[in-house]
Amino acid sequence: MATTSMKMTSMPKRGKQGFTRRALLPYMYLVPAFAVMAVITFYPLIFQVIISFTDFQTKDLLKQLASPNLHQIGLKNYIDIITGGLPVQNFEFFRVLTYNFWWAITNVAVHVPAGILIAVALNTQGLWFKRIYRAIYVLPVVVPPLVVATVWRNIFNEQYGAMNQFLTWVVHLFGSTQVIHLRWLEEYTPPIPWLLPNGPLPLAYYAMMIANFWLGWPFMTLVATGALQSIPKDLYEAASIDGASSPQQFWNITVPLIRPAMVPAAIYGFTLSFNLFNFVYFMTGGGPARSTEILVTFAYDLVRNLRLYGVAAAFAVIVFFVALVVFLITNRITRATESYAEA
Amino acid sequence: MASVTYDNVTKKFGDAVAVDNLNIHVDDKEFLVLVGPSGCGKTTALRCLAGLEEISDGRILIGDRVVNDVAPKDRDIAMVFQSYALYPHLSVYDNMAFGLKLRKVNKDVIKKRVEEAADILGITDLLNRKPRQLSGGQRQRVAVGRAIVREPKVFLFDEPLSNLDAKLRVQMRAEISKLHQRLETTFIYVTHDQTEAMTMATRIAVINKGKLQQLDTPQNLYDSPANLFVAGFIGSPAMNFFPAKLRKDNGRLIVDTGDFIVPIPADRSKVYASHTDKSVIFAIRPENIHDAAFLPPNIHAEKVEAKVDVTELMGNEIFLYLLSGKNTFVARVDPRSQLRVGNQTQVAFDMDKFHIFDAETEQAIR
Repeated sequence: MATTSMKMTSMPKRGKQGFTRRALLPYMYLVPAFAVMAVITFYPLIFQVIISFTDFQTKDLLKQLASPNLHQIGLKNYIDIITGGLPVQNFEFFRVLTYNFWWAITNVAVHVPAGILIAVALNTQGLWFKRIYRAIYVLPVVVPPLVVATVWRNIFNEQYGAMNQFLTWVVHLFGSTQVIHLRWLEEYTPPIPWLLPNGPLPLAYYAMMIANFWLGWPFMTLVATGALQSIPKDLYEAASIDGASSPQQFWNITVPLIRPAMVPAAIYGFTLSFNLFNFVYFMTGGGPARSTEILVTFAYDLVRNLRLYGVAAAFAVIVFFVALVVFLITNRITRATESYAEA
Repeated sequence: MASVTYDNVTKKFGDAVAVDNLNIHVDDKEFLVLVGPSGCGKTTALRCLAGLEEISDGRILIGDRVVNDVAPKDRDIAMVFQSYALYPHLSVYDNMAFGLKLRKVNKDVIKKRVEEAADILGITDLLNRKPRQLSGGQRQRVAVGRAIVREPKVFLFDEPLSNLDAKLRVQMRAEISKLHQRLETTFIYVTHDQTEAMTMATRIAVINKGKLQQLDTPQNLYDSPANLFVAGFIGSPAMNFFPAKLRKDNGRLIVDTGDFIVPIPADRSKVYASHTDKSVIFAIRPENIHDAAFLPPNIHAEKVEAKVDVTELMGNEIFLYLLSGKNTFVARVDPRSQLRVGNQTQVAFDMDKFHIFDAETEQAIR
């Protein structure tokens, strides 16, 4: 401290050169990190934006932007995506967008309350083996989504899947001899036709909801547990003396006090589900008939099967802005960053 | 308005006994302070009364009603917590109104009561603020306000001033006393600070290791402590203790500490005669040891040789830390005293104001 303040007071004598060097120093520390980010983050981003205005295709891969066949086509890719002008079957941009939102919202709407309820239940005083539960519920978070998707694909298999076997067992309990053969991932006819009128919600959607629930709640429980443990016990005691029943304590104390932690977690969960590429891709591949396609799986398909790099880039840019807008709106509405902690 | 009774109350946490067979009767409108060192069980006793802890044995009564199995919200009590326990997401107004809203009290009544309480506590202009925007003293007031609006039969305070700075603590002490006079309700107040206990209480219950040591008015506790613990706990600086023997010497009863000898006045000898030749603790408060040069008139003084070890000038008085052989003790003397560190001197014990405790049982010999 002493040396710092001495340097500070003697600074004016050093003149302009010393001052400039001092001012530059913090930026020099940032250079390595910035250089890495420039290569692996900013360059691909900018490159993507550039090719989204071109008709970039397989033939342009070799020479990239210098390719003689590359044409600037302005906003055509964007317009084609939005108006359905792409050479792709079963594709309507707004239907996929609506489904994508619905998929993300319904996931969060299930994961967050379930995560909180499980956290509250596990936070009960005197519960045995608390630490074991907490270790177990982190498991789904650390299992790779590819593995999760494969396992759940098998569970929902029409012939041999555990889900149909389980349902068969259940109906047998009620005296039926029927063998259940639900085509979970292949059936196109929606089981509840009026849900999401903008496009059908196939059985695969519900199967994926179940599988993704398994994948999604532990994270929310993890966050909620941390938040719960930071609520002082005496608030509940004060409330119980004030006359609050357990449900009233939950609504009046637990919910508002874990909100600052849960809102960012919910937004994170939303963006995660919104762009949950590997799980959706490996579970259904967007099918049947693109009915569980989300924006990112579609973008990938544009490249992998159709080789429309330019269109895919434009698509990714649209996804980016959709996610950005969503994040800004939710963040603003809920004031996610506000906490009740002391200023 | 109600009395409170602890009837043989015991509270155990596993094998640890936090409250041990506690018997206290608190009169209606009384200000009872539970005082004791940290971990003595005083807060547990209060929490048992609030219903936040279930008691292991005995009965607790509020008024004539046994409340052992009554939920906290139905005990008609209000509690001020050490941490204040304000709801951080609610405004001051909503914090105070919370209990009434849950009880579905009419909105106008809530408004009136909150405003009245805010007026009493001088926090009217803070009603729209959130707790985090308040200072410690203001939060303290809100916590008290939240208790007041409920108009409970009994107010419970759990070390409410221990998070405040010294000056504010003195001020709030007086305000809580005033509040008690104004509300005319039973107050039960837990603190580890004997000054708080002495200044506010109608009666004080001194608790140690879960057991009630003595229950009496502040003055009686100070003047005639029942045992060594109470004697040492009440009063600051603490009472001086000298391990000693009572002996007969030329027909007079004397206290022999091994370093000095003081005779017991004839009029008090009778009480202690039965402990002749036994080990005792001779005890005297610092203010009853005087600089021999500034002796108050008409006291029965006995001179004791001592060396001044440390002096603390307080302005209105001087604390002398004295050595006499293996004994160290404190005297609270006249500010004009010229005694300084290193002086070998004689100090005067006021032999009308000493205590003797049985060394074995630690009980006062009376």
